[in-house]
Amino acid sequence: MDPATLIPTAEVLPAPWWILEFLGMLTLTLHLLLVNVVLGGSLILLFSSLTGSAKSAPPGLPDVLAKKIPGTLAIAVTFGVAPLLFFQVLYGHFFYTSSVLMAKYWIMVVPAVMIAYYGAYVTARKFNKNSAVATVSLAVTSLLLLYVAFCILNNISLMTHPAQWVRYFDNRSGTLLNTSDPALWPRYLHFITASVAVAGLFSAIVWDFRRRKDIEGAQEKINSGLKIFAVATIIQVVIGFWLLISLPREVMLLYMGRNMLYTVTLLAAIVLALAVIVTASLKRLWPTVVLLVLTVVAMVMMRTFLRSGYLAPYFRIEDVALKPQYDMLSLFLITFVAGLVVVYLMFRWAMGGGKAAAR
Amino acid sequence: MNYPIWELLTVGGGSLIALIAVPHVYISHMAVGGGLFLWLTDLKGFRESSPAIHAYLKKHIWFFLLLTMVFGGISGVGIWFIIALVSPAATTVLIHNFVFGWAIEWVFFLGEIVALLLYHYRYDSMDRKARLRIGFLYFLFAWLSMVVINGIVGFMLTPGDWLETHNFWDGFFNPTYWPSLMFRSSIAFTFAGLFGYVTTLFLEDSAFRQRMVSYCTKWLLYPLLGLIPAAAWYFYSVPADVRAVAFEMNKLTGMWVHYLIAATVAIFLLGVLMSASKSLTVQRLAVVLLVPIGLVWMSGFEYTREISRKPYVLFGHMYSNSILKTDAEKINAEGVLKLARWSAIDSVTDQNRVEAGREVFNLQCMACHTIGGLQNDIVPKVESYGFQGLLAQISGQGKIRGYMPPFMGTSEEKLALASFIWNGVLGREPPPPGSPFAGGTGRGPSPETAKIPPFDPDSSEYVLLAWNDLGMHCISDCDEFFSFLPPANTLQAQLIRRGPLPERITGGVTISYITPAQHANPASHTRFWDFADKLYGARLERNVGLTGNAAAGGAFKFDDERELYEAKFIPLLPYRDDGKFDSYPVLDIEARDSASGELLALTKVVAPVSAEADCWRCHGGGPRKLDAGISDETAINILKVHDRNEGTQLYQQALDGNPRLCQSCHADPALGTEGTEGVLNFSAAMHGWHANYMGEVLDEACLYCHPASRGGITRCLRGVHGTAFEPGKMTCGNCHGNLNERALGLLKGEKDKPRAAKLAEHIQLGSMPKDSVIGNTPWLNEPDCFACHVDFEQPAPGARAFNNYNATFEELYRNSRDNALINCIACHGSPHAIFPTMNPYGTFRDVLQPMQYQGEPYAIGANVKNCTVCHIVEMEDPIHHPNMQRMVRNKGGFEKHGF
Repeated sequence: MDPATLIPTAEVLPAPWWILEFLGMLTLTLHLLLVNVVLGGSLILLFSSLTGSAKSAPPGLPDVLAKKIPGTLAIAVTFGVAPLLFFQVLYGHFFYTSSVLMAKYWIMVVPAVMIAYYGAYVTARKFNKNSAVATVSLAVTSLLLLYVAFCILNNISLMTHPAQWVRYFDNRSGTLLNTSDPALWPRYLHFITASVAVAGLFSAIVWDFRRRKDIEGAQEKINSGLKIFAVATIIQVVIGFWLLISLPREVMLLYMGRNMLYTVTLLAAIVLALAVIVTASLKRLWPTVVLLVLTVVAMVMMRTFLRSGYLAPYFRIEDVALKPQYDMLSLFLITFVAGLVVVYLMFRWAMGGGKAAAR
Repeated sequence: MNYPIWELLTVGGGSLIALIAVPHVYISHMAVGGGLFLWLTDLKGFRESSPAIHAYLKKHIWFFLLLTMVFGGISGVGIWFIIALVSPAATTVLIHNFVFGWAIEWVFFLGEIVALLLYHYRYDSMDRKARLRIGFLYFLFAWLSMVVINGIVGFMLTPGDWLETHNFWDGFFNPTYWPSLMFRSSIAFTFAGLFGYVTTLFLEDSAFRQRMVSYCTKWLLYPLLGLIPAAAWYFYSVPADVRAVAFEMNKLTGMWVHYLIAATVAIFLLGVLMSASKSLTVQRLAVVLLVPIGLVWMSGFEYTREISRKPYVLFGHMYSNSILKTDAEKINAEGVLKLARWSAIDSVTDQNRVEAGREVFNLQCMACHTIGGLQNDIVPKVESYGFQGLLAQISGQGKIRGYMPPFMGTSEEKLALASFIWNGVLGREPPPPGSPFAGGTGRGPSPETAKIPPFDPDSSEYVLLAWNDLGMHCISDCDEFFSFLPPANTLQAQLIRRGPLPERITGGVTISYITPAQHANPASHTRFWDFADKLYGARLERNVGLTGNAAAGGAFKFDDERELYEAKFIPLLPYRDDGKFDSYPVLDIEARDSASGELLALTKVVAPVSAEADCWRCHGGGPRKLDAGISDETAINILKVHDRNEGTQLYQQALDGNPRLCQSCHADPALGTEGTEGVLNFSAAMHGWHANYMGEVLDEACLYCHPASRGGITRCLRGVHGTAFEPGKMTCGNCHGNLNERALGLLKGEKDKPRAAKLAEHIQLGSMPKDSVIGNTPWLNEPDCFACHVDFEQPAPGARAFNNYNATFEELYRNSRDNALINCIACHGSPHAIFPTMNPYGTFRDVLQPMQYQGEPYAIGANVKNCTVCHIVEMEDPIHHPNMQRMVRNKGGFEKHGF
C-alpha cells in the first residue's frame, strides 16, 4: 500500500501558513524553555535526593527548583496549548493520524501530566520536611514527565514517517510507536540534556534576583547553576551531532549545503551553542541567557525545517488552500497584546506593593 | 473516511470523552462561578474588616487552585486530546473554523492562570487594591473563557446560518448561544456555592462556620432562579425538529434529562438543608452528597446536549461517524470502502465479506457502538434480530427515529456489514447469500388429489357455487402475546336452479358446510380460545368462532341485502390433528330443501388459511411450528420493539395475561374496529413503518409478511394472476404497488394523522412522483380490475392496476355482481385464486367447482360452450358481462402443467 494514499486531506487554512507557523514557533520557544525548567529541575532534584544529602547537590538549586516547579509547570502547560493549536491547523492531518496510531500512549499523557503536576506540589510542600515523600513524589513526577516527552517525540516522529503508517493494518489498538526511527533516541536525549542545562540556568536567574536583594551566598549559587548549564551544554553539542548524523541521508544533506537556509541556521545554532558555553564558563549570566534564547530560537527553526524535510515527499504547506479570516486574526492579535499588557500589569500590582494586605 | 480509526471495541470513544469531559466541565464551571466567589468574598472580608473571612479565603484559594488549575486545566487539554483521537475529522473542523476563537480563549486562559497564581502566591503580600483587582481579573478571564467556548460548543448542536455561510460569527453566535451562556453562568455560580461549602466545613469556629454556610447557600440557591428560565429558553431555542428527534424518538435522552432534573431538585433541597441544619454532621453528610450530585447534574446536562446532536457530531454538517452529510450520495454510489482512506479492503467479495463488514463497522458504527463493551453495546441491540432484520435495520436506521446516521455505502457493503454483525459479532453461521425467497419449490406436504364431486349435466337440477370471500388469508397464532388476525374464514354461496332461464334460489333451502375431521379441532392447536375474551371481548366455546359458527360444520345464513348465503368467521386453522400443515382444507357444501331435507346439490370448496407470516426473518426467533406461525420469542421481540418505539407497555400487559388486539388501537375495516383517535389504521401503520426498513426489497418485501412466496409453505398467490403458470410475469406489485407505493397510498389515506407524514417522509418511489399516489382505505379500496381489463378485454402490455381503486365497498371484486346478479367471485374464484388455479397442495383443489360443473378448470361458463352449466342450452348474448363468449386465453399455460 502506498502510504501517500493514507494521508488525510488537508483542510482550508484560515490564515497564511507563515503567520500560523510564526505564532506556533513563538509560543513553542517559550513552552520549551519552561518545560526544560520543569523536567530538568525535577531530574536535578531527583538526582540530589537519591544521591543522599543536599551537601552533594549543587548549592542553591534544590530549594529554588522545588518551590518554583509547580507554578512554572502551570505556565509551561499553558504555553504548550498555543503551539499545539497553531500546528494542528497546519499539520493536523498528519498529527491526528499519528496520534490515533499511538492513541493509548497518547491519551495517557493527560493523566501523566496531571499526576506529575500534583506530584510537583507535593514535592514543593514536603521538600526539606519529609524527604521520603519528597523523593517518591519527585521520582513519580520525573518519570511521568519523561514519559510525556517520549510520547510527544514519538508522535512527532510517527507523523513525519507516513511509511510507518501501514503498520496500522496489523495493529489498530493505538499502541504503535516509532522506535525504529534512528533519530528518536538522540532527539530524546537532546531534549533531556537541554532541560538539565536550562534548569541550571533558571536557578542562576532566580539567585541573581536574590543577589540584588543582597541575600548572602547568592553569587556562589549563581555560579553553580551556570556550571550545570555549561557542562550539560557541552554534552548537548555532542548529542546534537549524533542527532544530525542519525537523520536520513536526504534530510541530513539539506543541512549540509543542499538548502542554504537550513545550513545557515545549523551553523548559527552551532556557533550560538559554542558561544553560550563560553559565556557560561565565564560566569556571565545575562549574556548566557540572551544567547541561550537565541539558540533555542535557532533550534525551533531547525525542528521546523526538519519536519518540512521529512514531509517533503508527501506534502508542502504552501500548497494548502487558503480562506483567510483576517478579521479574526486581527481580533486575536489585539486580544493577545491586550492580554499580555494585563498580565504585565497584574505582575506589577502583585509584586509592586510588598506590603501586607490591609486588614 | 479520512482518518484511521482507533479500535475501541470495549470502552467506546464516547465513554472516554465523557470520562474526561464531564468532570472537566464540572470543575471548569465551578472555576468560573468560583472566580466571582473569590472576588466578592474577598471584598466582603475587606468591607467587614474580617480576618476570619480572609483566612478562610486563603485556604479556599489553595483548594480552588489545586482543583481548577491542575485538574481543570489539564483535563481541559485532555478533552482536546481525546476528541482528536476519537473524532479527528470533527476536531479538525472545529480547529480550522475557530482557530482564532480558540487562540483568543487561550489568551484568557493565560490571564486566568497568571491571576490565580498571583492571587495564591501573593495573597498576603498584596494590598487591598491589588488583590481585589487580581481577584476580579481572575473572574473576568475565567468567564470570558466560557464566553468563547460556549459559542463553539453551541455551534456543534445548533450551527444556525453557518451551514450556509461558513462564517465564524454565524457559527459562534448561534441560536443557542445566549440561553446557553445564561444557563451555564447560572450553574457556575451554584457550583461556586457548592464548593464553597467544602472548605467552609473545615472552619473551627462554629458561629463563623454557620455564617459562611449561609453565605454559600445564597450562592447555591439564588442562581437556580436564573437556571430554570434559562433552561426553558435554551430548550426552546433548539429547533423543533431537532428536539423531536432528541426528546421523543431517542429514548436515551430521557434518562439523562431525568438525572438533570433530579439533580437540580436535590441540589436545591440539600442547599436548604445546609442552612436549616446546625449540625456539622448533617452538613458534612449533605456536602458528601452534594459534590457527586453536582457531577450527576453535569453528566445529565452534558449527555442531554451531546445526545441531542445525534445523528450528527456537527449538526447538519458531519454525522457522528465523521462522515460529511454532503458525501453521502457519493458514498452510496461508489462505496464507503473505496472512498475511505484507512480501509484495508476496497471492495466486497464472497471471500472477504465478513472482513469487509468489519471495516464498514469501524467506519460507520464504532463511533457510537462498542462490541460487548461499556458504551452503546451493539450486541443486545441486534441479538434479537433475524438476519433479514439486521439488513432491514441497517436500511432503515435514521429514517423514522432520526437519531442514527443513515447507512452509507453500496448494497454489497450493507450485506457485508450485516454479515460481520451476524457472523463476526454474534458468532452465527453466515446465511446463504441472496434472497430468502429466490428459487425453491415450497416446503409444504406432497400434493393430494381432491375428489371432484359429482354433477350430471343432463339430470342435475341445481348448480351450487360456493367460495371463500378471501383467497389469501392468514391467522396470527401468538394469542398469548397479541393478535391481529383471528381464525375466521368466511364462506359464501349462491344456489342456481338450472334451466333455459336459470333462477337464483333465495329461500327455502338450507346450505351447510362440513369441515374435514383433521381441521375440526382448532382449539387444540392454538390458544385463541384462552384469550378470545381479552382480545376480542368474546367468551367463546372451544372450536366455535367469533360469530358462533363451529369449526366442524354449520349452516349458512341468507343475507337479504347481498342476496347470498354466508357462513361467517368459521374458525379454521392450517394445523391438522395429524400434525400436518394444510393451508387449503376442502369443505363439503350441501344444499338441502329446508322442509324435506332432500339433498338438492353438493359441492366442495377450499377455505384457504395460512399462518405463514415470516415475522421471524426480521424479528428473530423462528416459526411457531411447521415452518409457519409466530413463535413466542418472535412475538416477544415484536412487543418489545413496539414498546420501545411507541412508549407502550404491551409486553408487560401480555405477561400479566392481558394480550391486546393490535386493531384495538389501530383501526381496521377488516375487523370493524375503530381504534384510538389519532393512531394510524392497522394497514397504514404496518406498511408505513416497514416500508422505511424494507422498502429497498420492493415487491419481495410483501413475501416477508404475506403467504405468497413461491418458496413458502403456502404459495397462496395461486390463481391466474399468480406465478403458477408464468412465474414472475406478475407480482403483488402489479395490482397493489410495491411496498413503498402501497405504504404511501395507505399513509395518504391517513394524512390528517401526524405520524403519517413522519412515516412517509423517507419513502422513495422510482415509479412516479410521490404526490400522484392516491390515498386509500385498506379493505375498502382495492385495486380495480377494470384498470387493466378495460371493458373486460385483455390487458394492454405493461398494464398495472396500482393506484386505481374501486370507489365503494360494493364495488370490491369480492362484492361485485354481474348484470344477472351473480357474484363475480362465484364464477371466477376467490381473489388471488382466480380461475384457472394451480393449488400447490393438490392440482384440482381450487378448481373443484369448474371441474365439477364443466370438466375444465376455467371460469364457470367460459369457453362458449359452458353456458350450459346453468342454462342447459347454448346462449347467444353476453348477458353477464361483455366479452364473455370466447375461448379461454390462458388455456395453453394451464395445459402445460398437466391438464
